[in-house]
Amino acid sequence: MAKKAKSRVIIVRLLSMAQTGFFYTFTRPRTSLPMQMLKYDPIIRRRVLFLEQKRKGGGK
Amino acid sequence: MAATVSRNIQLAQALPKRLQTFLARYPPQQLLPKGANPEQHKTPYQEETPNPFLPMRHPITGKWHDPKYSLRRQAELVKLARDHGVEELLPYTPKGTEVRLSKRVELGLRVKGTGVGETVKGHKHERQLVGKMEKRRKAMLEMPDLIREWKKTGKRNWTRFPK
Repeated sequence: MAKKAKSRVIIVRLLSMAQTGFFYTFTRPRTSLPMQMLKYDPIIRRRVLFLEQKRKGGGK
Repeated sequence: MAATVSRNIQLAQALPKRLQTFLARYPPQQLLPKGANPEQHKTPYQEETPNPFLPMRHPITGKWHDPKYSLRRQAELVKLARDHGVEELLPYTPKGTEVRLSKRVELGLRVKGTGVGETVKGHKHERQLVGKMEKRRKAMLEMPDLIREWKKTGKRNWTRFPK
């Protein structure tokens, strides 16, 4: 059986680097660079670095 | 003699239905006539459980059975009996006035967890709070350095992503 085609756009989770567990969710094209940005973390009420979380299971 | 008996019956009938039922099922030994053997004057209820207020070991299986009356119902019966002045007719119960008073004397107004060597366990999130805040504090202290490093490296070359 043919494998199902991978979608072109993926949903990614940007995790706060302040270790609060807060995250934003975005979509980006699969082929683009991993997302990373300075953004507001409401738990410590400051702008901090958000980096994209590594995705589980290489296939997905 | 007959007059006192009928008077006693009248008094007993003045009790609330709940107490009447209980005392009919578990009549106290004090009410037996003098010289009677208490072993021979037992209701079927009493043969099954001598004291319905205490947990019992089953004679055959050896398993523990809960009291016939829950602690809540015991307390209710005790209060009812106390209001009608017949508390001494109830079997021993941990909810009895005497037991409660002696416990109060023994323990006072103690609050569990505040004594020497006692701690309050608390919820899981409360126990983990200190470590969590410490982790955040450390991360925030390193944040300016991290951002500087990230800006210097550039988005294209950054490889350290969180799990």
